[in-house]
Amino acid sequence: MAGMSIKDLVEEIAKALVDIPEEVSVREVQGEQVTVLELRVAPSDLGKVIGKQGRTARSIRTLLGAAGMKLNRRFTLEILE
Amino acid sequence: MSKRKYTISEHGPRIEAFLKRILQLAGLKLTFELSEEASPHPDFENPEIRVKFSGDDVSELIANKTELLLALEHLTMEMLGMPGEDHSLICFDANDHRMLRIEELRFSAVTAAERVKTTRTPFRFNPMNSRERRILHMALRNEPEVRSESEGFEPRRNVVIYPAGMPSSPRTAAPPVMRRGRRR
Repeated sequence: MAGMSIKDLVEEIAKALVDIPEEVSVREVQGEQVTVLELRVAPSDLGKVIGKQGRTARSIRTLLGAAGMKLNRRFTLEILE
Repeated sequence: MSKRKYTISEHGPRIEAFLKRILQLAGLKLTFELSEEASPHPDFENPEIRVKFSGDDVSELIANKTELLLALEHLTMEMLGMPGEDHSLICFDANDHRMLRIEELRFSAVTAAERVKTTRTPFRFNPMNSRERRILHMALRNEPEVRSESEGFEPRRNVVIYPAGMPSSPRTAAPPVMRRGRRR
């Protein structure tokens, strides 16, 4: 349930940033200590979720870190090309 | 005064909807308020919309040099599709932290400039983001005996204060090669 909201969190942010929200998808891969969130967007939207000097991706990771602290779980964001 | 680009009536609803949803999904206990109040330091920072946070998790927003606060600010501005040159027009704050930081930077700029004047040696600040570097440059713009410059490459770019006539120290011309992990 808690993991679910983090997946939704990434999806929600990505959809707000891109031009083609229908092509946003997030897959959650549960590990023992870490949950990997694989984010896929349209190729033309990659720059939107990464940002200049990776700043947007870094901001999403910061938010995941804060959300993860609450759940005592680490989340890793992988942006897949 | 030129016309405002960002107003609560036009952009407020999108900002509110986005932030509310994200704070809820992230499980952060925070509330926020939008305002258009005038800046007490209009020379240094003059946002058109302020977003002020309060609540149990304010300490998390402010931890690590306001990392989370700046992350939320950045994501909100990207969500609105704001071009880079508009990024000073919306300012996120909690416990007046950003406001106090401006005071702190102004004070450091003046103190460092005094030191440069007496010692005739350059003073190098820690790396800062562009908004903070700008505040340092602005604080020194009426000091004829020193000049300030930004050196190095993001995200480790930093301000250096030189005595007015002293040339800049030679630096590497190319940005450092990207490596895995952090150097230094």
